[in-house]
Amino acid sequence: MGRYILRRLLHLIPTVFGVIAITFVLFNLVGGSPGRMALGEKASPKQVDDFDEQRGFNKPVLWGTRIKTLALVDQDFARGAGSWTGVSNATLAAAAGAEPSYLVLRGDVKPPLAFPLRGGVEYEWTARWRQPGGAWLTSRLRMPGDSTLSTIGTLFKDAGPDVHVASITLRRVVANPFDSQFVNYLANLARFDLGTSTSANLPVAQLIREGIRPTMLLALPILVTELVVSVSIGLLCAFYRGRWLDRAMVFVSVALMSLNYLVWIVAGQYLLAYKLGWFPVWGFESVTYLFLPVLIGVISGLGANVRFYRTVMLDEVYRDYVRTAFAKGLGTRDVLFRHVLRNAMVPIVTNVVLAIPFLYTGSLLLEFYFGIPGIGYLSVNAINSSDPDVIRAVVLIGSILYVVVGLVGDLLTALVDPRIKLT
Amino acid sequence: MSADARRGLSLWQEAWRKLRRQRIAMVCLAIIGLYAAVALYGEVEYRRHRIAQTTPAYQQQDIALQYQPPDLRHWCGTDNLGRDVGLRLVQGARVAFHVGIVTSLIAIPIGLVLGLLAGYFGGRLDDVIVWLYSTFASIPSLLFILAIAMAVGKGLTGIFLGVGLTAWVPLCRLIRSEVMKHRGRAYVQAARALGFSHGRILFRHILPNVFHIVIVNFTLRFPAAVGTEVIMSFLGIGVQGEPSWGIMINNARTRLWQGVWWEMGAVTLALFLLVLAFNLFGDALRDALDPRLRDSET
Repeated sequence: MGRYILRRLLHLIPTVFGVIAITFVLFNLVGGSPGRMALGEKASPKQVDDFDEQRGFNKPVLWGTRIKTLALVDQDFARGAGSWTGVSNATLAAAAGAEPSYLVLRGDVKPPLAFPLRGGVEYEWTARWRQPGGAWLTSRLRMPGDSTLSTIGTLFKDAGPDVHVASITLRRVVANPFDSQFVNYLANLARFDLGTSTSANLPVAQLIREGIRPTMLLALPILVTELVVSVSIGLLCAFYRGRWLDRAMVFVSVALMSLNYLVWIVAGQYLLAYKLGWFPVWGFESVTYLFLPVLIGVISGLGANVRFYRTVMLDEVYRDYVRTAFAKGLGTRDVLFRHVLRNAMVPIVTNVVLAIPFLYTGSLLLEFYFGIPGIGYLSVNAINSSDPDVIRAVVLIGSILYVVVGLVGDLLTALVDPRIKLT
Repeated sequence: MSADARRGLSLWQEAWRKLRRQRIAMVCLAIIGLYAAVALYGEVEYRRHRIAQTTPAYQQQDIALQYQPPDLRHWCGTDNLGRDVGLRLVQGARVAFHVGIVTSLIAIPIGLVLGLLAGYFGGRLDDVIVWLYSTFASIPSLLFILAIAMAVGKGLTGIFLGVGLTAWVPLCRLIRSEVMKHRGRAYVQAARALGFSHGRILFRHILPNVFHIVIVNFTLRFPAAVGTEVIMSFLGIGVQGEPSWGIMINNARTRLWQGVWWEMGAVTLALFLLVLAFNLFGDALRDALDPRLRDSET
């Protein structure tokens, strides 16, 4: 048993690493930059850069010492002047024959930066240039962001009054090549620092901690009630197999399953809370506010669960030992609840255990539309306000939970069924 | 041997015969066909108006006509801007079919190929693929889909990618376990002995034998994809600008409380019928295609 656990734990590590990698790719890479994602398309480069700087997104992704900056976009003058149009003392010489266009600098030139460079950070200019009539050279110039040099003249050492530039780029210099987004992400995770929420301005870890209680208060009753009801109906169906009760239940289950989750929520809220006034409509003042969401949660999941448990029970009911039990004179109740149920425990336990990690996301929709301030509510708000840190944290924790609970489930299965040997 | 096996019918032909005898399955198939025709009509309408740059009938607003209950002119009534609900339902069907088909086009190749490779070659490749799908499976699916949509930007592309990139996992699992069973079968060993290459065995011999899983998976995944799109459009993350069932449910929600029942009722019914038809047909198809339930196999 001990060795099995150890081996499973070892398998757990690559999976958890995979999830960390996926959440990283999704939130740091795909959306452009988390700053862009959180602040939207209309934010100015300065605002996005400030955001990124604050959260450490201004660093190379995996490793390296140079990173692009939003202050100046790379410009290859063969394609045109780009952001350099209109800069005084800089004119674009048109392409002539085989020679592509280039920028002509005459005297002092202020580069068209989108925002002033940061003090305390080193930047590096790289340019491909030549003297008129000379050969093309590439030069680099490192300088601190708050340098008093407002021009880049010193880049072109010992040059005459005119300089032709083919391309020019600006990079931030990062002192430590391992100071990268990914490494920082891992380091933060190791410290249990899950980031900060942009909409609430609170640490994500705190938000999640606060959300667990309401989510559990909603999700656990749903799980338990659903289990009891579905298993009972499943047993009944298995026993009355083929008769009208069973056929009707199968059809009803599929029908219930086919009704969209949203419809249950909307109809439930409208009929039971508004029209009939049996339950409060929204909020989390007291326990009574949980009755309606729990009811809706149970009924909406009933269809799929009854179908599943019915199949499981059916597999058992046809076994020989059931026939023997009836032949020996045992009543229906004894056969069903004492023998069939116990032997069907393995798939039931697996199913219940598999459902536990989903408790954590706490039925996003139920919480959102009934105003229960749990983790699901937190997630939907984060999606709506583009809060990458929160979503990333919720997804990460959810996955880790799933993997850990899966292990526990396998162990439980082995406990419940002595035939299973954990080799 | 059964009559069918004597006639030398393939799995597909046998399955079709079995299906034909089931009334419910045939009714469901007819319903699906009806929806497909409606969706096609919706697509034609949409393209026609896009090309001609005119306002389609379902977008024509007429405030004087708002909140009309169903009558002869508007079979499902009108919404808050006086638009015909029935015509908007047709567009919703069009979006639903878009989502179902495109997400399947994304999920099926990925799941099928990875499942085939993992099941057939085993060893390290299998370990890598199992790690890959375990990782994807461990992420809470609705959250993952929402996160992908958030990263990619609002609109249909987000839905396609989100649903497609999560739906391949169950298919991959099923295909992998089925291929693993086939790997040890006599016909595969015979093919190896004959010197066929791995690729040929995999795609010309094993694939046809596991393809029925793909079909059943498609039939059962389609309604799930449609349902997910509805939820996402409802939350405002999905389709923008064009009518979709999710957006209509969102609009109808608050108006329900003011007594406007027809918009909500019509959308619910349309969605319910499509999903139910697919679920029932998918179940029947799965039973009909199950090789274990074939009449005989000598």
